[in-house]
Amino acid sequence: MTLTVALPSKGRMKDDAIAVFARAGLTVSAIGNDRSYRGRIDGIDDVEVAFLSASEIARELGAGAVDFGVTGEDLVREGLSRADERVEITARLGFGNADVVVAVPDIWKDVDSMADLGDVAADFRTRHGRRLTIATKYWRLTQNFFSTRHGIQLYRIVESLGATEGAPASGAADIIVDITSTGSTLTANHLRVLSDGVILKSEACLVRARTPEHSADPRVAALIDAVRSAS
Amino acid sequence: MPFGAPDFAADLARALDALGGIRVDIPVIQPAEPFLDMAGEDLRRRIFLTESETGESLCLRPEFTIPVCSAHIAENVATPRRYGYLGQVFRQRRDGANEFFQAGVEDLGEPDEAGADARALSEARALIAGFAPAANLSIILGDQAVFEAVVAGLGLPAGWQKRLIHAFGNEQALDAMIAKLANPEAAAVPDASVAGFLANGDVAGLEAHIEEVMQQTGYSTNASRSPAEIAARLISKQTLDATRLSTGSLDALKAFLALDVPLDRAAAALSEFARDAGLDISVAQQAFEARLDALKQRGEDLATIRWRAAFGRPLDYYTGMVFEISAGPDNLVLAGGGRYDRMMTLLGAEDPIPAVGFSLWLDRIETVRAGQ
Repeated sequence: MTLTVALPSKGRMKDDAIAVFARAGLTVSAIGNDRSYRGRIDGIDDVEVAFLSASEIARELGAGAVDFGVTGEDLVREGLSRADERVEITARLGFGNADVVVAVPDIWKDVDSMADLGDVAADFRTRHGRRLTIATKYWRLTQNFFSTRHGIQLYRIVESLGATEGAPASGAADIIVDITSTGSTLTANHLRVLSDGVILKSEACLVRARTPEHSADPRVAALIDAVRSAS
Repeated sequence: MPFGAPDFAADLARALDALGGIRVDIPVIQPAEPFLDMAGEDLRRRIFLTESETGESLCLRPEFTIPVCSAHIAENVATPRRYGYLGQVFRQRRDGANEFFQAGVEDLGEPDEAGADARALSEARALIAGFAPAANLSIILGDQAVFEAVVAGLGLPAGWQKRLIHAFGNEQALDAMIAKLANPEAAAVPDASVAGFLANGDVAGLEAHIEEVMQQTGYSTNASRSPAEIAARLISKQTLDATRLSTGSLDALKAFLALDVPLDRAAAALSEFARDAGLDISVAQQAFEARLDALKQRGEDLATIRWRAAFGRPLDYYTGMVFEISAGPDNLVLAGGGRYDRMMTLLGAEDPIPAVGFSLWLDRIETVRAGQ
């Protein structure tokens, strides 16, 4: 059986992933030219590398179409329902660090915590004739965090596929749930992360699809051990 | 009867009609907005959503109450009016079929609230008893209005009252709040930019400051929360964070939430509680007792219904009685109902309309019938 490892197809994520694999003694080389979307690991037969976009990697892992993937934990948890039943995070790789956070306009000086936000959401309809709106592309993470963790039900999600941090100032939404690494974009847009508003501390991970055949395959354990020792 | 309806559905439809409601037909495809607006974003995962060609969010009818009420408001017809329905609803469930049948009654605009409450519970029970005669039913009743009266009587700041009322029916959230009231955390230190205004009690200055910052940073002062709203909550929050509930009040709140007695002893238990706690909740008590009397007049055996003080639904449109009827080894909920006066104005009714109703889960009634 051929093992398929999906790696990010471009940018820093791609370079960092290949570097971790190299430190693990796994030299990844592209088949054909540098822009090719297929590769191999030198010296190991029957391991195929597929270069895919990071969100596609999460989806393919969920479907069991690839055995391993390097992608952000945020994309795994957002992209897959019941993620822990379908995939396993086998190693945290120490790059691609970013937090998924709840941020409100900084001028909401009365809102420091999720409990404050719960108060505001509960009253919003009465005061404004509509529910509190959240701009985000993280539907699943937002719903879990607001409903399950904090018992906040009464809000509406406004889908935002880019420039989410601009939504509160433009009036497209009241608050946002977005990813941030340094926080500088949030600050520049006069937004502030709530004291208990970190939904997920994400980073790039080596993720394994939970495929039954893996338990009897020595290459699987070897690959995990090698990457763990290098990360 | 549509395909897939349980064999007793036609008889149930006749029984519903005999209750005197106007039977309504509701289209299967509904705009999704009202459902998401009422029940919250969490519902999105549990309904079947699609989008029209023009981008409108549509869903398969997940329940009947909201469309029945919306149609009533749109047609602007006179009240009181009673509606009945029986049809398929569609929800994503981990267990059980994704399409199943519900039937129910909505009573809109009935001024005799105690009588209408009693009628809803009594009819739901009688219908189930008629179609699953051997089932051993357990009926549980709660009352949002009584809880609100208790909370109001405890002398908490308005912000805390709202928090507790909002969490009613969500045991976990309520417990967390009670723990916080017993043992408040140190209040968050107000931001340096506003601390001066707060220390001086300068409300006007605080508002002006917030407005100025919003304008400087390109935030509209009327698209979302206004400077006045932020300032007012910032001031009330100073007391909110530091509020500690006295041991007496805390014990009273816990004692109330632990009340769980048959309805024939509920009036005595409630007045005993009010007396022990030193709370004046007589208005809520009278309404509670009027409902008990109405149930008795309808011939309901109060000893077979339980009042659990902590039983509620954490949705902001329920205003009074809520109840659930369940049966069988798995305690399947066969019927749910309640008073939802606030929903009518949330859905756009110009004047308040009292509203109470119940809904039967036909697939579960069928399961209980089959188990007999």
